[in-house]
Amino acid sequence: MSIYVTGVGVALPGADSAAELAAAERPVGSVDPAAVLGKKGLRYKDRATQLGLVAAQRVLTDAGLLHDGTLTTDGTRVAVLVSSNLGNVDTACRVARTIADEGTRGLSPMDTPNASSNIIASEIAIRFGLHGPNLMVCNGPASGIDAIRWGTALLRSGRADQAVVVGVEPDNEIVRELVGGPVADGGAALVLEHADAVVARGATVRAVIGGHTRGADVAAGFRELADGEPTRLTGWFASGAAAKALPSELPGHDLAAIWGELSGALGVVQAAAAIGGFGAGTDGPVCLVAGSDDDDGSAALVLRPPAPPAAGPDAV
Amino acid sequence: MRLPITGVGAVASIGRDADEIFTSLCAGRGGLGPMRGFDHDLYTGTQLFEIDDRPEPGVDRTLRATGFLLDAVGQAAESAGLGDDLSDCPVLVGTGLRELRSAELWWRDGASFGPERLHFGTALRERFATADTHTFSNACSASLYALALGADMLELGEADTVIVAGVDSITESMFGLADRVQPEPPGALRTLDVNRKGTILGDGAAAVVLRREDFAGPEGTLWGRLRGVGMTCDAKHPTAPDQKYVAEAIRQAHRHAGTRPADIDLLMLHGTGTPLNDLVEASAYAEVFGEDAGGPVVTGIKPMTGHTSGSAGVLSLVTALQVMATGKVPPLVGLEQPIEEAAGFRLVRDEEAGHEVSLAQVHGFGFGGINAVAIVEAP
Repeated sequence: MSIYVTGVGVALPGADSAAELAAAERPVGSVDPAAVLGKKGLRYKDRATQLGLVAAQRVLTDAGLLHDGTLTTDGTRVAVLVSSNLGNVDTACRVARTIADEGTRGLSPMDTPNASSNIIASEIAIRFGLHGPNLMVCNGPASGIDAIRWGTALLRSGRADQAVVVGVEPDNEIVRELVGGPVADGGAALVLEHADAVVARGATVRAVIGGHTRGADVAAGFRELADGEPTRLTGWFASGAAAKALPSELPGHDLAAIWGELSGALGVVQAAAAIGGFGAGTDGPVCLVAGSDDDDGSAALVLRPPAPPAAGPDAV
Repeated sequence: MRLPITGVGAVASIGRDADEIFTSLCAGRGGLGPMRGFDHDLYTGTQLFEIDDRPEPGVDRTLRATGFLLDAVGQAAESAGLGDDLSDCPVLVGTGLRELRSAELWWRDGASFGPERLHFGTALRERFATADTHTFSNACSASLYALALGADMLELGEADTVIVAGVDSITESMFGLADRVQPEPPGALRTLDVNRKGTILGDGAAAVVLRREDFAGPEGTLWGRLRGVGMTCDAKHPTAPDQKYVAEAIRQAHRHAGTRPADIDLLMLHGTGTPLNDLVEASAYAEVFGEDAGGPVVTGIKPMTGHTSGSAGVLSLVTALQVMATGKVPPLVGLEQPIEEAAGFRLVRDEEAGHEVSLAQVHGFGFGGINAVAIVEAP
């Protein structure tokens, strides 16, 4: 069953769309969730949740699933998948220190929902009325591509018609110290959809999901995908040690060099940037790689330029 | 679908493997005790269901959850005849709190800890040579969510064998925030009792090995077969459950399994002992089961294991498989006067009941309104 990307949302400092992301050379300013979502209901939400809500609102709007604040599709058939490794680390650490300093009397009960790592995924579901499977993927460097993989799995198994896949990471003093440098403080989102749903609602295809591998060897995974792809790969997205393992004759994009630590947001931001590239003239498939041989595993995914599904039963 | 379950593993406050835990459950022996790793002077409540593996009382250490997980996965793999090399076997882990306890110790006390150990893939790789592992942080329904995704992988032909696990160790942040709003901490976890005062957290991990029906791998023991898992999201409130989508998760599980409520012999409750969870859970079950609600025997493990968060669902599933194997049903200890909404349920009280079970339903519900229900049948 072919899976299509029918929406892209971007929430990075100075980049609000796939086109801006593909063209960006450095972060500018910061994402202001209140300016996008309005102040109502944001007060006690942590930064990661606010960034996730911005990316989700943009992607649902871009996909035509949200119109004037109303969902245009059956919310019970929409899955939500969020990838974030650092999301609520600040809440856990801060609360533990407050207890040591002041006892539990010093705590605010408003922190309680943020103590659970799935707060980003559940708040997106609540705000937009999405009742399908709701999954929080906190899976290390490959987590963003893993979230896309599980989104496609939920569509292929018939558990959803659309999957909203979000990758976000917040920046703050605590996570900076943990990862040893600045964090992107933003993210991106995709809407994945199966062919029947694309055809039924006349959605615009932004990209087609191609092959996927997950394993211990970046170079081997890339070769497997390149060999299995009908047309030649035209470039790759990878950061750090993974970039060194990929063919230097192809154009490579290291997004962490631009945005800082992307961690669990990486794979989703790569996909959004690749789609921005399709809009700017990239005319062949590209390979996204998250995680490296230094990590517990790496994931790779081919993204193809848009091609609408054929109408009729052959589309499945 | 009828996916064979060929291995089980578990650790909890009441036992270091699945058999020890089941023996304790049948004996009505719970694991609640004075908390061992947190400073008693800082909290109102001072009792938890902890696994006793700290160096000395009052001294905590990092990576306890990771250790529990490796134990449970190792037991499950061994009993399924998979050995210690899981390089071809995806491992899906459901957890509420990941290694956030270690992050707390790092930030507060300067303990050694890095971001590569927030998720469990790094430790699984070191111990089992895995490269396709997944940490899902789906609150208290995490391991049943992981079970659904693992089953889907097998159904889609993406793997022959998968290991599905759940794990949690208590974080001071989660315990502390609950303690903050409980002026009178519960002295016991009393599922479905009118006088229940709330939940009490526990440490735990559990794992099962799932295989494709047509796959001839190592023999292991056939514990049972997974028939279906339903997953929904309330999309209503960050912490309070919604009966409508809890009921929908139960209906969805039966649709996936091709079963009817009248077929169920055993219900393993989520049963956290909070006023709202138990009320909503009992009402949703009664709503879906209707006149069949008095059919299955109804029990739960949390009065004896505590609320083991993300691991609770698979721990309940492992318990259901042991009920099928032995005919013994652990009781809901501490249940004196059931709530009105549970009137007519066949609640297992005080002593273990002898009961033949061929089909069981297992509940897991979590913060964020995420609900998962599994249906499993006897071998």
